Amino acid sequence: MTTEHLPEHPDFLWRNPDPKKSYDAVIVGGGGHGLATAYFLAKNHGMTNIAILEKGWLAGGNMARNTTIIRSNYLWDESAAIYEHALKLWEILPEELEYDFLFSQRGVMNLAHTLGDVRESVRRVGANQLNGVDAEWLDPKQVKELCPILNISDNIRYPVMGATYQPRAGIAKHDHVAWAFARKCDELGVDIIQNCEVTGFIKDGNRVTGVQTSRGTINTEKVGLAAAGHSSVLAELAGFRLPIQSHPLQALVSELHEPVHPTVVMSNHVHVYVSQAHKGELVMGAGVDSYNGYGQRGSFHVIEEQMAAAVELFPIFARAHVLRTWGGIVDTTMDASPIVGTTPVENMFVNCGWGTGGFKGTPAAGLTFAHTIATGAPHELNKPFSLERFETGALIDEHGAAAVAH
Amino acid sequence: MVNTAENTQVRALRRSPAAHLWEDFTRGSVEGSHGVALHEVPFQTMVGIRVDPLSEAGVRIAAVTGGLPVRCGEVAAGPDGVSVLWLSPDEFLAVAPDDGGRADLVEALTAALGADAGQVVDLSSNRTTLELSGPSAREVLEKSCAADLHPRAFAAGTAITTEVGKIPVLLWKSGPDTFRLFPRASFADYLGRWLLDGMREFAAAGNPAWH
Amino acid sequence: MLLFSCPNCGPRNETEFHYGGQAHVAYPEHPEELSDREWAEYLFYRENPKGLFAERWVHSAGCRKWFNMVRDTVSYDIKAVYRMGEAPPVELAAAAATQAATNHNAPEGAKP
Ligand SMILES: Cc1cc2nc3c(=O)[nH]c(=O)nc-3n(C[C@H](O)[C@H](O)[C@H](O)COP(=O)(O)OP(=O)(O)OC[C@H]3O[C@@H](n4cnc5c(N)ncnc54)[C@H](O)[C@@H]3O)c2cc1C
Ligand SMILES: [Zn+2]
Repeated sequence: MTTEHLPEHPDFLWRNPDPKKSYDAVIVGGGGHGLATAYFLAKNHGMTNIAILEKGWLAGGNMARNTTIIRSNYLWDESAAIYEHALKLWEILPEELEYDFLFSQRGVMNLAHTLGDVRESVRRVGANQLNGVDAEWLDPKQVKELCPILNISDNIRYPVMGATYQPRAGIAKHDHVAWAFARKCDELGVDIIQNCEVTGFIKDGNRVTGVQTSRGTINTEKVGLAAAGHSSVLAELAGFRLPIQSHPLQALVSELHEPVHPTVVMSNHVHVYVSQAHKGELVMGAGVDSYNGYGQRGSFHVIEEQMAAAVELFPIFARAHVLRTWGGIVDTTMDASPIVGTTPVENMFVNCGWGTGGFKGTPAAGLTFAHTIATGAPHELNKPFSLERFETGALIDEHGAAAVAH
Repeated sequence: MVNTAENTQVRALRRSPAAHLWEDFTRGSVEGSHGVALHEVPFQTMVGIRVDPLSEAGVRIAAVTGGLPVRCGEVAAGPDGVSVLWLSPDEFLAVAPDDGGRADLVEALTAALGADAGQVVDLSSNRTTLELSGPSAREVLEKSCAADLHPRAFAAGTAITTEVGKIPVLLWKSGPDTFRLFPRASFADYLGRWLLDGMREFAAAGNPAWH
Repeated sequence: MLLFSCPNCGPRNETEFHYGGQAHVAYPEHPEELSDREWAEYLFYRENPKGLFAERWVHSAGCRKWFNMVRDTVSYDIKAVYRMGEAPPVELAAAAATQAATNHNAPEGAKP
């Protein structure tokens, strides 16, 4: 088994306060993004009279359900900038938050299975290098050296024709990340309020002045929405629309195994991405269900196809057992890029659209969203990711880098 | 040469998409009360027809084929062994056995359509035909076809477009224990081997499996 | 595995179908008259309700025809299946109509 030390399960890392009558700002959604936003609001902008309102339990949404892949090898300058900033933050956050959440920079490989994949991947490696993102192109032999259990023979349905590789990429323990942010938020005075569903907004004209919740009305100067799959529902309550479609996305784990898989392997083409968690379970993600859905589960045929692809790529997985599968609700946009910025409602801000790949963006989402909420204007990094881009046409099409994968 | 298929030299050179599996089909077929047999019915003439069946052109085409099926599952039987399968409310497939090339059928249908909206296309080499028959044929199919094949829902004489083993096929129950599957030519090898695999368990003890 | 009832072919597995998103979104009658905002609404904004949703599907492995369906996006219950060009059943019309009405600034002709 791995020799890395697992932190103790925490006892009490944050208070469980009742909501106050009013706050300077309220964040809706206590997932990774809501937590990181509150942390940076308090730390960078001195806003400590703030609350995170979470309808369920802390970080029980996609933050609890993702496959924790962290990388920054996106194609366009705007994406490379924000995801690379996030990666740099991941590198310093364990120290800053004084919590080792096992960020493991074991590298991430994105396989190419067709000539089209190869061209697209090589182009992306070039773009990444120009943006200072560490990226390499590997031929099948080099792929095999890095991940010996991969089947690189050329008589399989989707032969491995090479891969992009980002050595600084990797995985982290998602629940520990949430706890790390939650503890710091709490120390800084942020109220983390669980079992508190936002059910409506109070407005003075077009300006938001408060939120209605399952635990009463709360007045607030500002509202930041960080509700991932439920963003459209909240926007509708607030009286504006978002270009978001919510889809189920699922993943699964096997039972524990000896360390066999040293890196992270993703394949956009066959919709499977695999790593081995610190304890030893194989963690695999699938593609989204094609249709809109708020059910936190996915269709079985999706998992079935994913396992068929996984077993072909990793023949030794044929004997592994699926321990459990689950689903989350991901908020997808037409250009596979997030929306972080202002909304048509005054003093209301939105962070959403991270879709299938927002775990890796958590620190940068928090940093830029906090800046936007505190100053009323976007940070340099999230300026391109405004809601207005769907009107101006300045889309940031990351389907190649994001697709269904991460 | 009006029709190359009538040229005996060319006909001698034809290879059907599953020809390389014929020996395996024979070896894999099982006799008896739990038997199931597989073979290819090569080179059937298939003509794709798109027409509104209620239009004048539709009526003229129906006169050539001996009728058009009106709903999913129906097969219209016409003269000279011609059958017409329902593909959608305005799309049909006319099928005739290989008896020297049915250029006359394509010509007659093309003439019947005339200049009206619709299309008649010779699709004979698009698909081949695999015939699965015997008391266990339905069970073999049910392993990988989700459509309801119970006789109360799928009587002899019914044909549907569906998926078998993940590939798209036309599935036609041409007799009480006989199914004709029309895979696209490039899927014939896959479907042939897939069905053989599904037949293996029915080989009687002592009856060697196909491989 | 969901079972969808194709109006032409009857009940089939969901894997025989492909999704087409929100139903009853008409192509604008005068696209050249739309503002950038209205064009963005037409191109990129679709309803995303938690509950009843009128959507399009195509029976790609069967008759290859499109049809409409009202489905609950939480329970995945299928409430109605009806042909292209038809309106949803009266008792479900409200769900589809609210969705069409919230197509803010929807130009004349962009009605279901
Ligand atoms: C199976 C799966 C695998 C994934 N794999 C990866 C990966 O490998 N790498 C990667 O980068 N990303 C991945 N993601 C995506 C990533 O998980 C999300 O983009 C990210 O977690 C979204 O931000 P969040 O943590 O704030 O969301 P969430 O944790 O979902 O937080 C949103 C919160 O808002 C709350 N909420 C909703 N409505 C209300 C309301 N009315 N009132 C109060 N609270 C409300 C919810 O309960 C929820 O807790 C994956 C997602 C899934 C589902
Ligand atoms: Zn159909």
